[in-house]
Amino acid sequence: MLDVGRHPNIDLLAYSEIEKVEGEAGNFKITVRRKARYVEEDKCTGCGACKEKCPTIVPDAFNEGLGERKAIYSWFAQGIPSTHTIDSNYCRQLQGKKCGVCAKTCQAGAINFEQKDRIVELTVGAIIVAAGYDVFDPVKIPEYRYKKIPNVVTAIEFERLLSASGPTAGHLDRPSDRAIEAEIEALEKKAAKSQKLVAKFEEQFNQSSADFYAKFQKGEYKDDEERNKWAEKYKEHLTIVEPLEVMKKKAEGFTAAKRLAFIQCVGSRDFRFYPFCSGYCCMHSIKEAIIAHEHGPDTTSTIFGMDIRAIGKGFEEYKIRGGNHSNISYVRGRVAEIQDGPENNPIVVYEDTKERMVKSQEFDMVILATACAPTKGIYELADKLGIELDAYDFIKTSPLSPVDTSKPGIFVCGCAGAPMDVPESVAQASSAAERAAEVAFEGDVRKEKAVA
Amino acid sequence: MSKDILVIGGGIAGIQSSLDLAEMGVKVHLVEKLPSIGGKMAQLDKTFPTNDCAI
Amino acid sequence: MPNKEDNIRIGVFVCHCGSNIAGYLNMEELGAYVETLPHVAFAKRNLYTCSEGGINEIKKAIKEQNLNRVVVASCTPRTHEPLFRSSCAEAGLNPYLFEMVNIRDQCSWVHMQQKDDGTAKAKDLIRMGVAKAALLEPQVPIISEVAQRALVIGAGIAGMTSTLALANRGYEVVLVERGERLGGMLNQLNKLGPTMADASAFADEKVKAITAHPKITVFTKARVTEAQGFIGKYKVDIETESGVKKIDIGVIIVATGGRLLVPEGLYNYDGKKVITQLEAETLLKQGLDKGVNNVVMIQCAGGRTKERPYCSRICCQTAVKNAMLIKEQNPQARVSILYRDMQMYGVENEEMFRDSKAKGIRYIKYEPEDPPQVSDGKVSVYHSLLGRKIDLAADLVVLSTPIVSQDGAEATSQLLRVPIDDNGFFLEGHVKLRPLDFATDGVFLAGSARFPANIREAVAQGLGAASRASIPLSKGSVVVEPIISILANEDACRGCGLCVALCPYGALEIKKTDKGRKVHIIDVACKGCGVCASTCYQHALSVNSFTDDQINAQINAFLE
Repeated sequence: MLDVGRHPNIDLLAYSEIEKVEGEAGNFKITVRRKARYVEEDKCTGCGACKEKCPTIVPDAFNEGLGERKAIYSWFAQGIPSTHTIDSNYCRQLQGKKCGVCAKTCQAGAINFEQKDRIVELTVGAIIVAAGYDVFDPVKIPEYRYKKIPNVVTAIEFERLLSASGPTAGHLDRPSDRAIEAEIEALEKKAAKSQKLVAKFEEQFNQSSADFYAKFQKGEYKDDEERNKWAEKYKEHLTIVEPLEVMKKKAEGFTAAKRLAFIQCVGSRDFRFYPFCSGYCCMHSIKEAIIAHEHGPDTTSTIFGMDIRAIGKGFEEYKIRGGNHSNISYVRGRVAEIQDGPENNPIVVYEDTKERMVKSQEFDMVILATACAPTKGIYELADKLGIELDAYDFIKTSPLSPVDTSKPGIFVCGCAGAPMDVPESVAQASSAAERAAEVAFEGDVRKEKAVA
Repeated sequence: MSKDILVIGGGIAGIQSSLDLAEMGVKVHLVEKLPSIGGKMAQLDKTFPTNDCAI
Repeated sequence: MPNKEDNIRIGVFVCHCGSNIAGYLNMEELGAYVETLPHVAFAKRNLYTCSEGGINEIKKAIKEQNLNRVVVASCTPRTHEPLFRSSCAEAGLNPYLFEMVNIRDQCSWVHMQQKDDGTAKAKDLIRMGVAKAALLEPQVPIISEVAQRALVIGAGIAGMTSTLALANRGYEVVLVERGERLGGMLNQLNKLGPTMADASAFADEKVKAITAHPKITVFTKARVTEAQGFIGKYKVDIETESGVKKIDIGVIIVATGGRLLVPEGLYNYDGKKVITQLEAETLLKQGLDKGVNNVVMIQCAGGRTKERPYCSRICCQTAVKNAMLIKEQNPQARVSILYRDMQMYGVENEEMFRDSKAKGIRYIKYEPEDPPQVSDGKVSVYHSLLGRKIDLAADLVVLSTPIVSQDGAEATSQLLRVPIDDNGFFLEGHVKLRPLDFATDGVFLAGSARFPANIREAVAQGLGAASRASIPLSKGSVVVEPIISILANEDACRGCGLCVALCPYGALEIKKTDKGRKVHIIDVACKGCGVCASTCYQHALSVNSFTDDQINAQINAFLE
């Protein structure tokens, strides 16, 4: 990734979109829209001082909304380019309010609220489409109750929870527990404020609130206006403190998620959504289960799948190792339903086809191995490029020319063509590079170099 | 006849294509819609089957 | 301490990195401290040393202060060392007289809550860097020509694809095939899934293109018997029917393919009533016998076992394809596939899998602990969904056996000094990120020699390996960072060869010299990892810019 930012032959146009494509193989005219970042790319050093001072908090899309970022942000800490970007939907200044804190903080003078989108014209000989994929949104599967049961998450959300650079710094805290902890934090702030108010009265009357309130409720001090105010404030204080104590007690018992269920083919091999197999999800779940076990050696994982497709180099061995050393068990079957259980523990209802029995089991967390869906903008892009899509909206290719699209001079690699794992994507990327180079250099008769 | 090449998408596939071509001496324009390249793989913690860091 | 120059003048630049370093360390104290270090002639703090202003200050100081060493204490060499090095070079200083000290990633970021301790650690780190810098020596990058010719070993689909791709890009290619004809396993196949394209028509098309191509030289019934040298400069011997050809080669692609396991002793295999999928392809090509009405296929025959733990990836799709072709030739036929997991990954395979079910092909899952039993005319299997054993009539049993490593893979591995894995397949540089490269520069990999691949994957990998191999060819020369192993003390070397065995890049060899057996470093292949230098018990080997003296100086500085 770093090499891309540094390579003299690579002109990196990040935060940009393809507007228009004209021409033929050997001579395509491309119009690119460079979206305004409101930060000058050549001045920003990526130091991040601006985002520390920015007062506006926004859900962090890179962390799948599980964490927070500021209105001025870098996509992720190691991102290339490291240029920061202002999110105009949230930025106070760009929303017409008064702010500009980032501009005052930036010692490089890189902030430019006046920046506009720019149009860049390119002439190229060939095009490689590596537009990737989207993660299937499991909200569409009502029986899995994603977003309704807090401890049901997608594989990529779980990935962020496992990551040391993620929102939990790699601790497997359950979303329901994190929600309660966030609530405790908010209540504690409120409690501290109301405690101050109450303390004033305590000082004034030299009496503890509890003592006073007991008497007040018995009917004492009814005519004292000040004390009536005290009673009211104290009552309010109790409505904060009492649930806070209950929650804190509960939170004491929180531990990292230990019993994990992985559900395969969520949106894949499913006629309602995508009938195809997404290829990489079986291995992804096994990997997440192995890493979770590394984080907590008493973690157990159950992977529910119809076939466990460990089809790459070293994959079957990895699967067996996961079973032997990482407490993973594999259950054959498609999960019918996820129910909400006690203590926010999801309950998985499934048929164990090997034992021919319908069973249900409680887990701390359920992870959905979501399908590799065609990326949202692909129709528009394919339309601009004039290339065909297949029945599922992946870019159409043929097995005998695996990276050629329907239009000469345009090639595809990675999940834009079909779901595949990282080594396949990397291999295909080189294939597409080869084909593109063949086209771009066609007719360029190589001068015979002296061969020793 | 233009010898530049356009790569659309800065995930692992787009990155690898761009690097191969750039190393061949071809001028590459890499267009990515998000603020930084890296794609889905940058969101991964580790990768199978070697458990290497993804970034 | 051996100092070749008396007048060492070091310039030290301490970067604030905005607040990334300055926010957590005491920069004034650090700046003042740096000035007290030995040989430091100039010290400066920058808001961002990497900014244009910072770079200009480095260049200016080199000239005005007559600096002959530069140290930057900042972020990480991973991102910024190339920039600082080239800045030194622009100011006329050899770029290898530059040393970088990491006081951000490895100091300020990890000690955000400990300002005093963090500052003390930064002082240690800079003192060590300065001590090392004083002993740095200028280095010159190594440049080696690349012969403009590729060697492709193996003329199956992957090898033929690589050959044509490179030739179409204008490079000369030598294609060596051990068999009589080009085409490899394609020659034995009937139709290619999932589009059912004709295998021989596809092979013919490729063979024709190769034969007609002026840039391609083909040797059949030939073997590579010797491959001396390194990237850009291989001297290759090819044994052909008309004698040994000696050819200079720049890059090599290994596309030797795989071999289908012959299941001797498994499920009563006899090659007639119980056959392999490859034999089924031949039967289907000729047209199936009228009497074949009941066919049973058994997956993982000899695969996913203790001795061959891997899944061979392509046998399930082959079985489904052949099952459908059987149905096409005899719609009345009953075809059952006994499987463990149907590995119909991806879009096309799963689609074919669904179609096959619609065509009436039956799938029965079996457990490896209780495998099917083949007897005359029938197969019995425990049907896990029914929970009982069933008998299936079988006029023909087809065993889906795994692709295993090619005969001679080990010899090729030794010849080219590239590794093979536990299953006998060639081991790429990195299973995730460098699937088509070997760790050794200049040698590449495609197709089932790496791991079983279907037609789509073999073509893609053939193209991909050509892309990878074309990089050194198009550059015309290899430029190597001079931070490589050196035989610092030739007399000490006993030619034991321990380093040769441990070198991951095939960069060392033992040569006979006047002084006896000595190690020789193929500098172009060396990556400077230091494995050899740290294992050499005679301390004969060392690494440029990481010599024992330099590292000792750093350690001593730390202990001060």
